[in-house]
Amino acid sequence: MDEIVLDRVSHRFGDHQAVQDLSLAVRRGEIVAMVGKTGAGKSTAFSMIMGNLKPDEGEVRVAGLDPYAQFQALRGRIGVSFQTDRLLPWRRARENVEIGMQILGVSAAERRRRAEEWLARVKLADAGNKYPHELSGGMRQRVSLARALAIDPAILLLDESFSQLDEVTSRALRRDFSQLIRQLGKTCLFITHRIDDAVEMADRIVVLAAPARVALDIEPRRHDASTGTLHALVERAMAGEAAPPRAAAAGGR
Amino acid sequence: MSQVAASDSLSGLPKTRVTMSPARRDMIALAIVVAALVGVIQVASWYVPAYIMPAPAAILGALWVLLTEEWTQILVTVARLLVAAGFSIVVGTAIGCAMGMFMPIRPYLRSLVVIDSGIPALSWMLIAVFWFKDPEARIFFILTVILLPFYALNVHDGIRALPREWSEALGTFRPSRWQIFRLLILPHVVPYVLMTTKSIIGYATRMVIFAELIGSAVGIGAKMGLAQGSFEMATVLAWTVFLVIFNIVMQALVAAVEAHLLRYRVEAQAR
Repeated sequence: MDEIVLDRVSHRFGDHQAVQDLSLAVRRGEIVAMVGKTGAGKSTAFSMIMGNLKPDEGEVRVAGLDPYAQFQALRGRIGVSFQTDRLLPWRRARENVEIGMQILGVSAAERRRRAEEWLARVKLADAGNKYPHELSGGMRQRVSLARALAIDPAILLLDESFSQLDEVTSRALRRDFSQLIRQLGKTCLFITHRIDDAVEMADRIVVLAAPARVALDIEPRRHDASTGTLHALVERAMAGEAAPPRAAAAGGR
Repeated sequence: MSQVAASDSLSGLPKTRVTMSPARRDMIALAIVVAALVGVIQVASWYVPAYIMPAPAAILGALWVLLTEEWTQILVTVARLLVAAGFSIVVGTAIGCAMGMFMPIRPYLRSLVVIDSGIPALSWMLIAVFWFKDPEARIFFILTVILLPFYALNVHDGIRALPREWSEALGTFRPSRWQIFRLLILPHVVPYVLMTTKSIIGYATRMVIFAELIGSAVGIGAKMGLAQGSFEMATVLAWTVFLVIFNIVMQALVAAVEAHLLRYRVEAQAR
């Protein structure tokens, strides 16, 4: 079953056509990377999926609901993590993890238990009482991911969540996080401009090329090496070059 | 004090330089200024009558009398100040939040607050004498209308400075408007409320004294007016000394509350 569906979606900001006729479907339990250069329309598509932006044309469905019109109905079903950690500085790490549960009305004892459990899962068991400024960038991003996951959402949306970290930290976090998502069976859509993130984490890579058209839709495990490295293939698609027919056929739906 | 070894530029040999903490340096500077003022007052008292400038000993004696015999006046003034300031904090913050959160009423509230802040304190004092018979109501009204705009405008500015990233992050959990207020806006405006309190505490103290002078028979302001009328310059100066010390203590208290509530913040250090 498709958990996220964009059906011929378009959106325009003034004279700028940010997204045009974009169609995409993410299956339940699938990890999909939406890759593209700056201005390819990733963030606009992401905002529409989150329900912050209404498409001018077409339809967006998340868990079968319209995320814009039925904004509150998706409460607790979507977890989001951003490029920057966006932790609230006056709340300790544990309290930051608790905030989503607090909004959803989880009891204080239960949210404390779950926050501590999630901090342990992201390898920050001892950092619960620290304020964000006392944590490193990688640790803060882990707290941010724990905050998104602690509400036990069916769908995870990640907006360049690893791109501001140094390569070593980012790699470790990507590995841990993709393992965790697979274990939990979450549906995950993440946008990134870093090809390495997509290749390492995703079950499927969707490349957007301006003006927000799908230039490539491929499953890395089904990639035919004879068409070139996956990295090179994605890079060419990002640049707007046509993908070889065999590669394009590997995952496109 | 700590000793720091530094190199002597001429001989190249290390020399010992004595440094002190900024707080200690400030305390020493304050003590020097106070001693100098006491000296000036003492010298002046030798040449002019006591109703112009009494000797420091006479002022200290009067201060002792105030602290031991007139402490109820102090309590009355402090209570008036705290009640009015507390009310202004709550209502001013609420108005500032309403200005920040409800677009349709923002221009009306803002206009009201801007007009209020433009009315001179003296006008409010004279108006209050006509409007209110009860001295407590007069003083409460005067202090509130004077202090409220500071909180409303600063809290509104605080909300305007709220990072959009934080509201977006919280918005992903689809909170109610009340939850946004309680979990995001209220903690975010706390530094603005404290900053406002720190900057107006001295002004508020002066205003309560003026208000008591004009609109009440009890309290420090009223007693200062009485002392001035009977040429008791030592008592006027003793109240003045008390008010200066009171202001310093209040500033220190607000700073302590700020240090506790904003303990999550990193102190920025300029080089």
